[in-house]
Amino acid sequence: MYRYDTFDKQFVTERVAHYRSQTARYIAGELSENEFLQLRLRNGLYVQRLAPMLRVAVPYGTLNSKQLRQLAFIARHFDRGYGHLSTRQNVQFNWPLLEEVPDILAALAEVDMHAIQTSGNCIRNVTTDQFAGVASDEWLDPRPFCEIIRQWSTSHPEFDWLPRKFKIAITGAREDRAAVAVHDIGLKVYQEAGEARLDVLVGGGLGRTPVIGEVIRQGLPARHLLTYLEAIMRVYNRYGRRDNKYKARIKILVRAMTADGFRARVDEEWAHLENGPSTLTDAELERMASHFRPYDYPTPPADDLAAERLANPAFSRWVEQNVSAHREPGYAIVTLSTKLTGVPPGDVSDAQMETVADWADEYGFGEIRISHEQNFVLPDVPRGKLLELWQKAGDAQLAAANVGLISDIICCPGGDYCSLANAKSIPVAEAIQTALADLDYQHDLGPIDLNISGCMNACGHHHVGHIGILGVDKKGNEYYQISLGGHSGGRGIAASLGEIVGPSFSRDEVADVVVQILASYVALRHENETFLACLQRTGIKPFKEKIYGTA
Amino acid sequence: MALLDRNGEIIEATTVSNGEGVSGGLAITPLEDWQEDSGQGLLLEPTDEPDRRFQRAPLIAINFPAFNDGRGLSLAVLLRTRYDFAGELRAVGDVHPDVIHYMRRCGFDTFQMPEGRTLPPARHDAPSTLAPYSDYYQASVLQPEPAYRRVRRGA
Repeated sequence: MYRYDTFDKQFVTERVAHYRSQTARYIAGELSENEFLQLRLRNGLYVQRLAPMLRVAVPYGTLNSKQLRQLAFIARHFDRGYGHLSTRQNVQFNWPLLEEVPDILAALAEVDMHAIQTSGNCIRNVTTDQFAGVASDEWLDPRPFCEIIRQWSTSHPEFDWLPRKFKIAITGAREDRAAVAVHDIGLKVYQEAGEARLDVLVGGGLGRTPVIGEVIRQGLPARHLLTYLEAIMRVYNRYGRRDNKYKARIKILVRAMTADGFRARVDEEWAHLENGPSTLTDAELERMASHFRPYDYPTPPADDLAAERLANPAFSRWVEQNVSAHREPGYAIVTLSTKLTGVPPGDVSDAQMETVADWADEYGFGEIRISHEQNFVLPDVPRGKLLELWQKAGDAQLAAANVGLISDIICCPGGDYCSLANAKSIPVAEAIQTALADLDYQHDLGPIDLNISGCMNACGHHHVGHIGILGVDKKGNEYYQISLGGHSGGRGIAASLGEIVGPSFSRDEVADVVVQILASYVALRHENETFLACLQRTGIKPFKEKIYGTA
Repeated sequence: MALLDRNGEIIEATTVSNGEGVSGGLAITPLEDWQEDSGQGLLLEPTDEPDRRFQRAPLIAINFPAFNDGRGLSLAVLLRTRYDFAGELRAVGDVHPDVIHYMRRCGFDTFQMPEGRTLPPARHDAPSTLAPYSDYYQASVLQPEPAYRRVRRGA
């Protein structure tokens, strides 16, 4: 993974001092609420329903064990002993004191971490495939490009005051685990004709107006990455709407100009920048790649995985759901699910963080990933150690064998914490998990993405859930709108947006409606047909009839 | 209204950016009334398109309708890097001290803050408001080379 040099260390250290001085001016009354709002947002600090919330950047979801232990320390020392894995691969703390945030940032800087640009109308933390660099279906490792973009976008002189927040995601694998089609910019990297190249999508996004991004450039040589991004950002910064925050994302601009019109404008801009000083040098591309070289994998002793699985069906099921193919023979990628019934999805305790950090050292090279599905990933586990790890994970409440199943719910913090939310989301997740507690049944149902957002901002990615649930406000009461058929783009199936089934439901009804939807699927499905494939074949009508009756 | 130079020094000048004001004897005129041979300063709104004839202006003031509106930053970069504007570039409108460090890097020379807003006093334990960082990763008008072209970075 990327190792900070003195340049990086100096920057984050200076950032702490800068933010500390801004906080001091606010506390002294020298900065108004609105002035400080703009400054603190650019450093990940929201003021939430109950307390401030600090979002710590986990660049492209990658951490080392030392960093995760420091997050555990922060959770214990500055918070209430837990943190939250976000849908953008970051870590959030829900109870910091505004006055102590500079000290938290100093603690982060000690381990080469920060909270720069994790909120506000600027370029946010770049996200990627949680299996980057180890996935067996990868064309090209996206992480060097993530880091190039992280550095380029950090305190950019021109693009830190955009019309709206701006999210970039990158994938380099056949299966798109980064949902690049629903980001402001989505990038696909691959190797072609002896060089790294990129396809560029723009204008995707969720929120109030969900849109699937459109490809505006194919086969862009990697050395042009930053100049091309600069061209896109400049067109957006100058022409994106600023009069209405709900129409300020780049997708609205792309729609207004049409994708062809937008592309033409970007190309015109890029013609001036192409081959300019921000063109990446071979040396820089090579330097970044060198940070992400595969580890020196010792040949593991022969494993008895097949026999271990036969002897232990529960372990076997966990392997089937939570273990993914590694590019290196004898190794596996393990996803540790945080989705245990009764625990808010993505919430992890300080002790769990420390335990996972220990496992990263013991069963890998000290590296941990966070997935946008809000789970931990251990990327380099020898297959012969899987049983041992599974047993320990069970004790740590991190062994739920439900990755990709319906109880692996993506869920925003919702009305329990967030001041934007129309409705709570965590109790809905719990009700659904409780109603579907039978893991055999979940397995029989197969892969189903169920995503819950507490409001239109769609932090829980409800539009791209196979089953999407959105909290809405109906005359002061919390209701939930259900949509079907969304998909974030993985498993070789193109991304799609869900279709709303009909009138919304009260919180008490939601779990039962989900149960009915699943019963419909079981009745309708062909052999080996997944929930999504079934939905795509039948459309939502038969599901609708089951829920609302045929009348 | 304090007018600051790039080092935060207060410049003695009074300006009203509606075409009637005077800055060091210089009138500043909105684009629709400005003529390139007038010798007058030019006031641009963030929606104005840059033009090569602006080179003739001794001073261009770019209006920031709100301090969190970054359009003027892009306009400044274009004037400096593509339209060869070498005269004084001034930020006017809702200019905020904490945004000036971005403005400087986009090529602004002077900063006119609204009435009642001042630069925070320098403190020995706080970074300079105008230049809080000793170096940056990416290229800018002030530093056209990105760090990876001029600093030896770790591998």
